[in-house]
Amino acid sequence: MSGPALAFETFRGAKGDEWLMRIGEPQGPAILFVPALFEEMNRTRALSAGVMRRLARLGQCCWLVDLGGTGESERELATMTWDDWRHDVSSAAAYVGQQAKKPLIASLRGGALLDHAADARGWWRFAPVEGSALARDMARSGLAGGVEWAGYAPGEGLKAALEAAAPAAVAPLRIVRLSSDRAAADAKLEGPALWRRSEPGNSEALAEAIAADLDSWSRQCAG
Amino acid sequence: MATAPDDAHEVDNTLRAVLADVLGLDPARVAAFDETTPLFGALPEFDSMAVAGLLTELEERLGILVEDHEVDADMMETFGALLTFARDKILR
Repeated sequence: MSGPALAFETFRGAKGDEWLMRIGEPQGPAILFVPALFEEMNRTRALSAGVMRRLARLGQCCWLVDLGGTGESERELATMTWDDWRHDVSSAAAYVGQQAKKPLIASLRGGALLDHAADARGWWRFAPVEGSALARDMARSGLAGGVEWAGYAPGEGLKAALEAAAPAAVAPLRIVRLSSDRAAADAKLEGPALWRRSEPGNSEALAEAIAADLDSWSRQCAG
Repeated sequence: MATAPDDAHEVDNTLRAVLADVLGLDPARVAAFDETTPLFGALPEFDSMAVAGLLTELEERLGILVEDHEVDADMMETFGALLTFARDKILR
């Protein structure tokens, strides 16, 4: 069985060309995924890819952006600023808008702290989190004899900006969380908090539920 | 807001659920943990980011606040040590 079309494309980021992974045909409605940050990014990549494949089968075209200094980027993480990352997300959205249609933005966790400046037809955020909570988790990874910031070495400026960041108001916006999360949301889905797991994992059931919710919201945000 | 668990048995159950969720362990395996089961340093899944995830989830689900200076390898060495830590936090 051949899966949906997979392609790797570059766009002009804040400090150089950065990568996007595309799954789907560009004729369909566009969705730009903004990943979770730092270690959570690795832990949710398989989930994101699973959601993107399902959405591609439903006729949507999905892109996942690699922020500068992460993933396949040739930049050093230490050289990236918070504004660079926001710029990367906005540039990626503009690129998608040129290649296909104005995107819906789907942000995971800390990705929701970077998505508001982009030109989009709507926003969808999964388990959005305050920057201070992420910074605290990263600092805590150094407790009990572990490695500070889990071995990641962003610049002090980026750390300070993360500490102060909160998800910004955007519209139209839909917030989805796990049922184990007590914070308010438009919908709650059953599934594991994969971003907390030390072993990269996936949940077919969660990917299925997320794809169905996102497909429905994408169709409502027709732009 | 959920009320803070006041029953020792409920703390035990919550701790097992958090360990299974955060470390991605089979719940049946976690159910068999006893007071002496070694955790930190004994389970490959229990890495430095898992420490952060475990503490954050325990805070959220038990309604407690863990200070950084209270965290060391000893309080996570065994299931019993971690359970005692969590119960003491709730009593305070």
